[in-house]
Amino acid sequence: MNQFLTTESIVIVMILVTTLVAVLARRRRLPYTVTLVVIGLLIAIPTSLELEATPDLILAIFVPPLVFEAAFHLDLKQLRENLTPILLLAVPGVLLTTLLVGGMTAMGAGMAFGTAVVFGALIAATDPVAVVSLFRALGVPHKLALTAEGESLFNDGTAIVVFRIALVAALTGVFEPLTGLTDFLRISLGGIGVGLVLGWITAQLVARLEDRLTVTSLTTILAFGSYLVAEYFHVSGVLAVVVAGLLCGNVGMAGAAPSTKIMIFNLWEYLAFLSNSLVFLLIGLSVDLTLLWDNLGAIVVAVVAVVGSRAIVVYGFSWLAQFWGKASQIPSSWRHILFWGGLRGAISLALALSLPLAMPDRRELQAMTFGVVLFTLLAQGTTIQFLLERLGLTERSPQGIARERRLGRLFATQAGLRRLEQMQREGMLPDEMWTALREGYRQDQKQIIEEMKQLFREHAELEGEMLFEARREALKAERGALWDALRRNILSDPVYEKLSTDIDHRLEALDLIYGAMHERPSMEEEA
Amino acid sequence: MGPIVCATRGGEAGRRTQERAIALTKERGAELIFLCVFDPSFAGALNGELAAAVEKEQQWLGRALLGTAQARAKKEGVKAGGEIRNGPVLETIEAFLEQVDASALVIGEPRTKSPMAAFRPSKVHHFAERVRQDTGVDVIVASLEE
Repeated sequence: MNQFLTTESIVIVMILVTTLVAVLARRRRLPYTVTLVVIGLLIAIPTSLELEATPDLILAIFVPPLVFEAAFHLDLKQLRENLTPILLLAVPGVLLTTLLVGGMTAMGAGMAFGTAVVFGALIAATDPVAVVSLFRALGVPHKLALTAEGESLFNDGTAIVVFRIALVAALTGVFEPLTGLTDFLRISLGGIGVGLVLGWITAQLVARLEDRLTVTSLTTILAFGSYLVAEYFHVSGVLAVVVAGLLCGNVGMAGAAPSTKIMIFNLWEYLAFLSNSLVFLLIGLSVDLTLLWDNLGAIVVAVVAVVGSRAIVVYGFSWLAQFWGKASQIPSSWRHILFWGGLRGAISLALALSLPLAMPDRRELQAMTFGVVLFTLLAQGTTIQFLLERLGLTERSPQGIARERRLGRLFATQAGLRRLEQMQREGMLPDEMWTALREGYRQDQKQIIEEMKQLFREHAELEGEMLFEARREALKAERGALWDALRRNILSDPVYEKLSTDIDHRLEALDLIYGAMHERPSMEEEA
Repeated sequence: MGPIVCATRGGEAGRRTQERAIALTKERGAELIFLCVFDPSFAGALNGELAAAVEKEQQWLGRALLGTAQARAKKEGVKAGGEIRNGPVLETIEAFLEQVDASALVIGEPRTKSPMAAFRPSKVHHFAERVRQDTGVDVIVASLEE
């Protein structure tokens, strides 16, 4: 009991730390995951905390939420349309990455080839969470974001299967290529099979049940259960979760009540956030700075190997993809983004944490993984926006940024004025000072509004963009009001569903119209 | 004199085109009609509900765009009408010009360096020439130099 309470206390403290770091990162505009790792390192220095979790436990706890959430949200139809490049990068791409990274680190860091291949496999999975959120903020082409997300989802599964096979080979010193290949196929296909069966059954149940708590519980059982069942049969738990998540999210959710959908989406968003945060914190806690310093040479080799192999895989397989037809082609500017946006994250860290104590060079491998993840987050994660802008893949024009800057100034001025008004009401500001300050703020506001009008005169397209933005905001507000009405039992589920679906369609329609107007010339241009 | 028709859809040249049409209306003392044409075929085959939503949103946006243009005209002392039409741009504009027996059509020419201007100015003039030939209506292209 005492042991249980200690564990519970540690978990609660860790969640508290992740929450505080999230607040700090948001306020100071720091990269969240990097801050978590650094805080973990700082905590580890005075406490010398020893984590006692079995490798299987780490994977079974952290991997299902991360993978299930991503799969659950992915649109199966859109995924199918882009399947060729995604699978090329995620299956042969991972195998090639494993071998290339393994070969390069074996040569460069003087590591046994078997051990280096384990590293190659655990570092092969990309984690574009940070990049994809940037994609959304900057409005990059949807298909590019989908390719990055889809690749990440499937390469998680492939990398873990390859990791398991490589780990056994490294520990036993025996590797038969044919056995390796049949093991790979058996584990992968077995995992997909388990995911298909359990995902289908759950999707059918979800489609028939109305109670949102029951349905939410079912998704939890499915995410963790499909992993455990697959692992019990010695097949890929991750691929089982991927397939189960895709089926449940696309088939099961199609007929679910809106309140159920919102509850499930919120739950999985939270669980994925928690898992991601805890993995980054745990790696910070488990790696000490001395270890990093001692393995600096190996880390540099690992970084070069990972970045180099990513280039070979992305450019090579993108070139190959064009032979599968026009729909599979990856434009050259997208290839640069897929290459530089191939960040490494939670899955690699979870696999590094899960390395058994008997693994040769275990600490060195953990340091290398940590170093590569840190490099990709700091160097690649912070420069990808610059690259997107240079390649013209963002939809933000200089005049759009100028408008945003003026809007920001206007909001700030309004907030300042509101605060002064409050101070005056509370008697903190003498009347004559309040009048003088208010006049100053009003002048500023007038000037900004005038600048905005001038900007609109010079760049009339901003008016059109603003109209779309205003409409989008208004529709979202309408949807929010419907959700409030549902929560207050003013609306029933069927009525809410009908009305909110209509708004969703309108939002989708708005995006389609916006896309068409920006791809094609407007009437003034066309005419 | 037949009305002056100003084709507008809120693009980069929109404001300039509308201002040119308002000035011309005042100069000629004619009636002004802002015309917004949407080509529903842009999105390809859509399912029923989404297709209906696209049509509704186009109407909504069209009304907002025309309302803005009309308010701009009113500010200049010009009372303007507004019409929304669906169909292929060229044919729909030509049909509308004939329907209202228009005396002139005002269209815009984008800046070539604008990131959104996929069309070249030469195409705008080609379009203008075609409308002139097909309908006999005077077509004025509101260019940046004016």
